[in-house]
Amino acid sequence: MTPIITAENLSKHFPSRHVLGRGKPVQAVSGFSLAVRRGEAVGLVGESGSGKSTIGRLLLGLLPPSAGRVVLDGTDIGKADAATLRRLRRRMQLVFQDPYSSLDPRRTVGAQIADGLAIHRVVPPAERHGRVEALLTQVGLTAAHAERYPHEFSGGQRQRVGIARALATEPDFLVADEPVSALDVSVQAQVLALLADLRRRLGLAMLFISHDLPVVRSICDRAVVLYLGRVMEEGPAADVFERPRHPYTKALLSASPTLDPARRRTRILLAGDPPSPADPPSGCVFRTRCPWAKPACADTIPQLSNLGPGHRVACLRVDEIADIDQE
Amino acid sequence: MLYVLKRIGVSLLLVWVVATIVFLAIRLVPGNPAEILLSQGGVAPPPGAVAQLRAQLGLNQPLGVQYVEDMRRLLMGNLGTSMQDQSPVADEILRRLPRTLELIVAAAILSVLVGLPSGLLAAIWRGGMFDRVASWLAAVALAVPVFVVGTLMIEIFALGLHWAPAGGYVSFARHPLRHLALLAMPATTIAVGLAAILFRMTRASVLDVSMRDYIRTARAKGVAPRRILARHVLRNALMPIVTVLALNLGSLLGGTVLVEYVFNWPGLSGLLVSAVNARDYPEVQGVVLVISVLFVALNLAVDLLYAVLDPRVRQG
Amino acid sequence: MRRLRLGPVVAVGAIATVALLTPFLGLANPLHMDIAHRLAPPSPAHPLGTDAYGRGVLSRLLWGARVSLMVASSSSLLACVFGTALGLAGGFLRGPVEFLALRGMDVVLCFPPLLLALLVVTLLGPGAGTLIPVLVVLYLPGFVRVVYAGVISVRTQDYVEAMRSLGAGRMRIMLRTILPNVGGPVLVQLSLAAASAVVLESGLSFLGLGVVPPTPSWGLMIGAARATMAQAPLLLLWPCLALSVTILALNALCDALRDAVDPHGMTRRAHRAGILERLAPGLLPARGPALQVVGLTIAIDTPAGTIHPVRDVSLTVMPHETLALVGESGSGKSLTGLATMGLLPSIARVERGAVWVEGRDVLRLDEAVLRRLRGEMVAMIFQDPLSSLNPVQRIAPQIAEAIQAHSAGAGKAAKRRAVELLRHVGIPDPERRAHNFPHEMSGGMRQRAMIAMAIANHPRLLIADEPTTALDVTIQAQVLELLAGLRHESGMALVFITHSLPVVAEIADRVSVMYAGEIVEQGRVTEVFARPLHPYTAALLASVPREDGSLPEPIPGTVPPPSALPPGCAFAPRCRHVAAACRTGVLPLMEVEPGRLTRCCRWSDLA
Repeated sequence: MTPIITAENLSKHFPSRHVLGRGKPVQAVSGFSLAVRRGEAVGLVGESGSGKSTIGRLLLGLLPPSAGRVVLDGTDIGKADAATLRRLRRRMQLVFQDPYSSLDPRRTVGAQIADGLAIHRVVPPAERHGRVEALLTQVGLTAAHAERYPHEFSGGQRQRVGIARALATEPDFLVADEPVSALDVSVQAQVLALLADLRRRLGLAMLFISHDLPVVRSICDRAVVLYLGRVMEEGPAADVFERPRHPYTKALLSASPTLDPARRRTRILLAGDPPSPADPPSGCVFRTRCPWAKPACADTIPQLSNLGPGHRVACLRVDEIADIDQE
Repeated sequence: MLYVLKRIGVSLLLVWVVATIVFLAIRLVPGNPAEILLSQGGVAPPPGAVAQLRAQLGLNQPLGVQYVEDMRRLLMGNLGTSMQDQSPVADEILRRLPRTLELIVAAAILSVLVGLPSGLLAAIWRGGMFDRVASWLAAVALAVPVFVVGTLMIEIFALGLHWAPAGGYVSFARHPLRHLALLAMPATTIAVGLAAILFRMTRASVLDVSMRDYIRTARAKGVAPRRILARHVLRNALMPIVTVLALNLGSLLGGTVLVEYVFNWPGLSGLLVSAVNARDYPEVQGVVLVISVLFVALNLAVDLLYAVLDPRVRQG
Repeated sequence: MRRLRLGPVVAVGAIATVALLTPFLGLANPLHMDIAHRLAPPSPAHPLGTDAYGRGVLSRLLWGARVSLMVASSSSLLACVFGTALGLAGGFLRGPVEFLALRGMDVVLCFPPLLLALLVVTLLGPGAGTLIPVLVVLYLPGFVRVVYAGVISVRTQDYVEAMRSLGAGRMRIMLRTILPNVGGPVLVQLSLAAASAVVLESGLSFLGLGVVPPTPSWGLMIGAARATMAQAPLLLLWPCLALSVTILALNALCDALRDAVDPHGMTRRAHRAGILERLAPGLLPARGPALQVVGLTIAIDTPAGTIHPVRDVSLTVMPHETLALVGESGSGKSLTGLATMGLLPSIARVERGAVWVEGRDVLRLDEAVLRRLRGEMVAMIFQDPLSSLNPVQRIAPQIAEAIQAHSAGAGKAAKRRAVELLRHVGIPDPERRAHNFPHEMSGGMRQRAMIAMAIANHPRLLIADEPTTALDVTIQAQVLELLAGLRHESGMALVFITHSLPVVAEIADRVSVMYAGEIVEQGRVTEVFARPLHPYTAALLASVPREDGSLPEPIPGTVPPPSALPPGCAFAPRCRHVAAACRTGVLPLMEVEPGRLTRCCRWSDLA
């Protein structure tokens, strides 16, 4: 199956915040490539500063890349003119993390869902009202909710509204940026179930951005692990989470608390904080915190190498570490 | 350091823009200054006299030449001569500026002495009797314009009770006690409104800071309330208060005009009003420039003080 | 938006109405002079007497109101329209428009306001025609700045990005989304400008540089009355009063608008901590526990009635033990923690119950005694270390302060100890870090510094309120490790408040599960997680994403707010096992097995 959206060698750097232009630019994303097929959910995993939200914005064309390109269904969105871009926008949508700031507090929920319908003339004006109600029902709310304001909703309900707004334009591709991390556990499960259900029924392709590994594992087919703007490991979710190969993925998984005492691994405790993206280490960006780093890691930027079907890892010592791990 | 240099650069730029605007405003406004100056009493002046005055004022040269000449003159610190008596404008400004500054400083001290402690106490006893009475008084003080306060004070304290002279000025060197007696009423008049502003700002700022998480942390450490107030609340609450005080002091430069008029205080603003009435352009230009430069300098001082008070600003 | 207070609106409305109706009131001509009757006392024709030219004072007062309000309202409205347009354009279009709008306003702000007015009056001559444009220019920066700041803060909101993502055009976003959201502050600025315009107009008129005589104006009237101050003091009083009352009303309107628009500026009614109910003295606790909470109930008085966000909470924590207090938002877990420290926010009060720390009831202690207990016996760390540290103080003095609050030692020694503590909590290069300001540290390091501060006096009990929630997974692991290590070496008891069950599994010995203000289940973590005895615990465990990739099971519905608790079991409306007995009466927390407590009446059917 051909991918619906492809990112080719995307990089993004932001100018430094110093007023007189001193200081290096912040390298938020380097050489990121990804292809998402129709109906596929890809998880983008990383800690703060890993560039995962930036990648989401780059894919949607909300930020221009510094290098590389994004192709939606054969059209390069960086080269598209304004009218084409607007048409493309209809096909890809964004769901936000913060259920509070993502809705305009001064307009009814119905009006905000109707925006997408109006901008892209999805349905004739006479049918808008009916479509808004249908969308609300689709996300587990009722038609009566359309007339209410965001502050009358709970966090989970707001997140449902945000999803309904994204679905209004009938998108093919959805970027969900930490859609459940601001929610309570029980509500989080509700929203996850909704997203999984929509994906199945509508055949949505989805980029699911999260720092929470079990959440990604539960909803995604594939996972991409980011550190300081670079891909460390990617592959089928089951492979990445069950048989992690990159030291960072291993550390991340072992640091992630688990309910299941049987699965509690020997913890790999990483020392210190991640380095600043304005001043990343040479060679492998993870080497400053990697328990297995050797001098060579400072010289070469490791490239992604194939380990199995779709499973790729960027680590110089991936083979040696596999042996170390067999305790 | 970079932050300081940048702020100073911006301020110098602003001063230059102000000088240019004042220059242009006087030159480009409809009507011929020379003609207006000579046509007092509604009689048209003889054309020869107008031409002569224009030449004397340098108004018959091209605008560009006038501008360069004007800026060069200002850079050397020469503010020109008064059209009324040909005396240097700078001399008169220098004579009167200290009197206005004295008024402002006295008012500032008074208002800080009253506004800060009362605002603090109102915040501490929030909702109590003191808070309610003081807040109400502050609202009234803010509503009465300064010239009304001044006029009423003269009526009550000078004409009614004969506690203080109604107005005038004697230099401190000649008659110290009388000088202070004459200073008291105008300074108090200005201080009334300013103290009300400071009271409200202090109260709001202290209340705001008291609700911050780090105050809870200090309490959780078991730090004594008085120390929490001094080390954590006041230090953080001070920044907005300082800003408000400085901005208001700035607008008093020129804002004292009403008080100086009411109390016959011969300050800088009085000079401005008389210059305005006499259409003495060099004098108007000089006063406006001096006050604006002081104003810009004051704002610069606030910005720099901010950097001292708040380490987060220093990073720029 | 909160409700707008109506008093000021009515007052300003009344003043405006009188001014508008003045021509229809049948008053004497305000310009008609009658020197024969100058300074006359009140008469039917002139209810407030006449002035030095024999003109009716009341008539001039009301006509003067028209002039003042006309100048003030037209200038502030014009400034509002132009300023809003400029601010919107500057904030949203950025680039050169932004530069021109902002720097232009900076130049205007270089002139003290009255000075600028004087300058323009010099050049253009006095009169209302000059006054209005001057005031417009003066108030323009205020509007531009308010709107610009609003646009900048709204621009970064997710809902604006959502509009971009939907493909909405710039105009649509500006008018539909941004403008309504900056509307409130603009309204406040409008009333501010109007009040200030009244002051400025009257001041300039007073000087003879505003409205030109014989047009009536309050400023002019006050100026004129000064001449006859000795003979007719009332002549001075009326315009002063009219002017001050008008400004007072406008100022009050500003305040009311600001309170209605800005939730932070709201001057909340002071809630005084209620006098503690001393009738029910908690039973003296058995010796030993580091913390014992008995029947704690917390009340908050709201306009809609008293709510009880924490009800009948009882806990015991032994030395060396870690108790996790787990629950979703609104479960009351954080309030319970704060009550233990005697740090409840001022709106909340303890209605019933006792909190025993080291054999003393925290709730009935003097604030001075309690203060010595805090930081010495009990310490607390919070979720957000950045906002919990004083931003303008370096790290070392903040830690030293915790030490000095409880011992008479010298400052030098305390500072040295602070550095030692920083090293102890694993901060690299502690000598250098001690001189950092909080904003110069990473989130993980700040939380370590908070922990250093908390353990400075070797407390017997540490309460940690979501200490790792704001941290990344790898940093969370570090902090959990640190806390476990500290507890191990010092024997202090730890109360760990969190919403995350996996974190509970990692760190705690025992767990208390809270739901809607009550403890619903309590017991050893391993037992509770393996075999929950309350349906809520079971459902909560099932809703945690598993690592086997299966979808977690949601709990239907939402947590009831404390203002609308169902009768009987609070969880009943969402419970799968609900029976008729669950919906009535008060359900007690029962010890059903040694050390296992549940509030479910059907626990035996579940097990």
